[in-house]
Amino acid sequence: MPILELQDISKAFPGVLANDRIGLTLDPGEIVGLLGENGAGKSTLMNIVYGLLAPDSGRIRVDGRPVRIRSPRQAIGLGIGMVHQHFMLVEPLTVTENIVLGREPSRAGVIDFRAARSRVADLSRRYGLKVDPDARIRDLSVGMQQRVEILKALYQGARILILDEPTAVLTPQEVVELFRVIRSLVAEGLAVLFITHKLEEVLSAADRIVVMRDGRVVGETRPQETDEVGLARMMVGREVVLRVEKAPAHPAGPVLEVRGLGVADDRGLPAVRDVSFTVRGGEVVGVAGVDGNGQRELIEAVVGLRRPREGTIALSGRDITRMGAREAIAAGVSHVPEDRHRRGLVLEFDVAGNLILGDHRRPPFARRGVLQAAAIADNARRRIEEYDVRTPSARTPAGNLSGGNQQKVVLARELGRKPKLLVAAQPTRGLDVGAIEFVHRRILAARDAGTAVLLVSLELEEILALADRILVLFGGRVVSEVPAAEATAEGLGLLMTGGGAGRGRESGPGGTA
Amino acid sequence: MLEHILTPDLFASAIRMATPLALAAIGGTICERSGVVNIALEGMMLVGAFAGVAVALVTGHTWVGVAAAILAGMVFAALHGFASITLRADQVVSGTAINILALGLTGFLMEVIYGHPGTTDAAATLAPLFRMQGPTQGAAGGIWRWVSGIFLSHTPLVYATIAIAAVAQWAMFRTTWGLRLRALGEHPRAADTVGIDVVRGRYVAVLVSGALAGLAGANLSLEQVGSFTEGMTSGRGFIALAANIFGRWTPAGSYLASLLFGFADALQIKLQILRGIVNIPPQLFFMLPYILTVVVLAGVMGRAIAPAAIGKPYEKE
Amino acid sequence: MSATARPGTGRLAALLRDAAVPVASVVLAVLIGSAFILASGRDPVLAFSALFQGAFGGPRQIGETLMRSTPLILTGLAVAYGFRAGLFNIGAEGQLFLGGLAAAWLGIVMAGLPWWINVPALLLAAAVAGAAWAYVPGLLKARVGAHEVITTMMFSYIGRYLVSWLVTGPLKAPGQIPQTAALPPESTLPRFSDVFAFLPASRAHLGILVAVAAAVATWWLLERTPLGFEARAVGFNPLASETSGVSVERTTVSALCISGALAGLAGGVEVMGVYGRLFDQFSSGFGFTGIAVALLAKNNPLAVLVAALLFGALSAGAGTMQLEADVPQKLVLIVQALVIFFVAAEWIVRWAIRRRRKAEVSGA
Repeated sequence: MPILELQDISKAFPGVLANDRIGLTLDPGEIVGLLGENGAGKSTLMNIVYGLLAPDSGRIRVDGRPVRIRSPRQAIGLGIGMVHQHFMLVEPLTVTENIVLGREPSRAGVIDFRAARSRVADLSRRYGLKVDPDARIRDLSVGMQQRVEILKALYQGARILILDEPTAVLTPQEVVELFRVIRSLVAEGLAVLFITHKLEEVLSAADRIVVMRDGRVVGETRPQETDEVGLARMMVGREVVLRVEKAPAHPAGPVLEVRGLGVADDRGLPAVRDVSFTVRGGEVVGVAGVDGNGQRELIEAVVGLRRPREGTIALSGRDITRMGAREAIAAGVSHVPEDRHRRGLVLEFDVAGNLILGDHRRPPFARRGVLQAAAIADNARRRIEEYDVRTPSARTPAGNLSGGNQQKVVLARELGRKPKLLVAAQPTRGLDVGAIEFVHRRILAARDAGTAVLLVSLELEEILALADRILVLFGGRVVSEVPAAEATAEGLGLLMTGGGAGRGRESGPGGTA
Repeated sequence: MLEHILTPDLFASAIRMATPLALAAIGGTICERSGVVNIALEGMMLVGAFAGVAVALVTGHTWVGVAAAILAGMVFAALHGFASITLRADQVVSGTAINILALGLTGFLMEVIYGHPGTTDAAATLAPLFRMQGPTQGAAGGIWRWVSGIFLSHTPLVYATIAIAAVAQWAMFRTTWGLRLRALGEHPRAADTVGIDVVRGRYVAVLVSGALAGLAGANLSLEQVGSFTEGMTSGRGFIALAANIFGRWTPAGSYLASLLFGFADALQIKLQILRGIVNIPPQLFFMLPYILTVVVLAGVMGRAIAPAAIGKPYEKE
Repeated sequence: MSATARPGTGRLAALLRDAAVPVASVVLAVLIGSAFILASGRDPVLAFSALFQGAFGGPRQIGETLMRSTPLILTGLAVAYGFRAGLFNIGAEGQLFLGGLAAAWLGIVMAGLPWWINVPALLLAAAVAGAAWAYVPGLLKARVGAHEVITTMMFSYIGRYLVSWLVTGPLKAPGQIPQTAALPPESTLPRFSDVFAFLPASRAHLGILVAVAAAVATWWLLERTPLGFEARAVGFNPLASETSGVSVERTTVSALCISGALAGLAGGVEVMGVYGRLFDQFSSGFGFTGIAVALLAKNNPLAVLVAALLFGALSAGAGTMQLEADVPQKLVLIVQALVIFFVAAEWIVRWAIRRRRKAEVSGA
């Protein structure tokens, strides 16, 4: 008998039907992969199962009994546990405190810390999830934090475990470890449902694959019966060009020269150590690495948002090491930041305003301390057309645009300056396939026009698709530098976790390790 | 001349003046730990002070007045909670509205009930808790003078405050309530997903802060002064906020920080005896606590970290 | 994704929609104020009609309303500008005192010079004094993140004690009353009825022209200059502003200083136009009323003119209300607080609903 059954689940939000009569079953001891693009409705569905959202219609059955899940507390009571994409962990508290939160062993309201610690140790041993019970969450690695999340669900008695994009923040080796844990959980009778948009993962780890698109279940299959191409077609609904056409690069002279760079993070610890590399005009240099290995600090140093502790950064021969963001922009550095909502746009400003952000003090947009409305409007008109930004008008607040169009605005602004160097961080995060294609094309166009491009991305696929040369960042150091043609995903993945010094391609010498 | 300043009653006075600050600061700590900014401590203290005196005068019992003060603080806190938690208004603006409301309402009621602005009649104040005699002669007498002067000369609420600080500190870090409270202020969604009621937890915290601030007001009007004067809180609610920050959002820290401010207040009064010798205007002394607050904030802010989710209204998906 | 009004059409509709919440807030506040009046055993209808009479009942009353609105326009602008930049200048009261101080002192020092030198100089000095008083809180906020609510509030108390000392000591004019010497005519802002003999007598003075000019200037600064652009950008999203090269630190300090300057100007105008001297209680909470004005005007400098007029009328009529309906003037404070309350709550609720819808549309 299935442990979980969803029938005809529907959920609508203003303007979009997120779930359209979804049906899904899950048996004990089974691993089901829920596959779909961004916006397919997977997270909405799981939030319904976990009680964070109420469905508009449909039925849910647990162990054959119809249930109405109105809150996470109820879901937990029914044995449904969820590990979210953005962890639900309280940073300043300890591992133990986080795990027992809400169900603390206590006597008359006073927490029994000894009992808590011993229960955590028991669970940890039983499922092979080693953790330090007294460590504070903020001091743990992401992979470790995920373990705590899983332990938390187990502590609460989960028999159904839902994992939302669990591998988004893990290295390839940590992914292997995660699925080992999942298999051992499943061997004890748990049912696991994991959400992903990664094809290889679902093919290698799931017993069954359910594909969602535009709010509907469009297919159900088993790994033996399909392959990447087939799944991609189901996910997207058409033949997908998995890679954009890329002309060979014709790099010119060096534009960005980074030598011996050392940058500290917010806590004062070294995040970038002795990094040296060059980006030439007309080439894309991709920086691969797992989140948290210094990418952010490296980018911030190059674009002027963070002062390096040591080393130099030169742009076309000019020293820009100590420059702030404003000067860096004036010198020819453009930056597509990783979070367009928080760092890329002022959502309350209109499109025209966002398009001049950063250039708003200079002619033609400002003369003698006064903003020039005509020039601003003209600029907006041209850029909107050039970059095909879908917006009712240039006066529309940027927050009203879709993610893809917002990113187009950012690109239009940053590329519109005809920069010497473009630094792009996670430029296609959260975008649908069409938007991703657009962004990739524009980046390559900039490259072909002679711009030097530094691309930092957590998506290996993206790096492999766009870069001419690839650097791997691990522990703040460049551990490898390879031409893209010789790089493989497995090799890069290995380097990203510190293994296989010197590899990342089939043969030949590597970089510093 | 130093011995004229460093007397037992200077330190006793420091503890006494620290009391309303500490009560309000601890209230602020609890409220802010749950994620709700409470700028309205000043207003809650003021209505507490007024309600305390008004009810004490009407009923003839000072302790009933204290209870009324706590209640008044809680009513205003409920308003703030409603605006901040349910209506998701900007918490600083809502707090400011409460402060102005408190000022206006107490002034309005003053004229309506007593017929004139300014100061009410005097109500009976709370008497000191201990009345012990000790040695007066020799070294023992000297020690007794200091010990009893500093520690045993206080009115009940002063001792209650110390107890409250200790209990609150223990509760925050050793009880389920405290753990959940801290989770609310750091990551309310995480708390929500394990089944903790964010709204209820925050309301409770806000109401507790109102009760403590109201109690602080009662201490002012019923223990220290004996009557209510318009605007008598004079910014203490804001100084309490600074004390909370300085105390790193812990009840014990808030109490100790309040002692510092209380000491500055007490010192300022004592130093006025210098005026006999050097002609320094009193206003310069009155300014001291406020200047100290700014200095403290300037030095501490860089390293003091507020609860991560503070000030942001919680929205269920 | 959601359609917005096309430029040109629907502007009036949008304006009405924007005004709906503030208007509703005022109405609600008046209603609840009436409840308080009823509860205290007085007649609310009588009270509010007396209020209206006192504010608009005749040319002298209208003049009084204008006179009382003048400092409120300026403190409203001060708070509004701060809010636009993401800062809450709750200490406008203190900056106002410093501005009045500067005008009162300098006006005596510059006695004998012609008015067309004195008046601008004194106004400038008042503005600079207010800005200076806001500088340290601005700096502390920019450098260490010290919350400007606490620091400006502290400076407010410090400023008031400072003025209190000066007015009873070094700057005291001879006589019993703690106040400064009277300003010579060339250092004052004359009344309209003194300048234009055909106008009926009232206390309205030329300072209101300064206030209106300041409102226009503030609007222009915010909407038409790079400085204002940056202030608004930082107010909405400091991270994105910083990423695009805007110095959040410098913007914070300059915005709080501009806010302080406007508040200081309010003090200067009040001293120069109404009292002709500085004394301890010369401000009846203009700095705090400015908060209500700014919020009611939704931080729009031009709307501040309307909102200030409303509160000026409340203030002008309160005396009559007390006289004729025996309702304490403090009621005005209560109404003020309620207005702030309702505006803050409603506005955010509307915005929150709109934002959630947007998130759902782009997320899922």
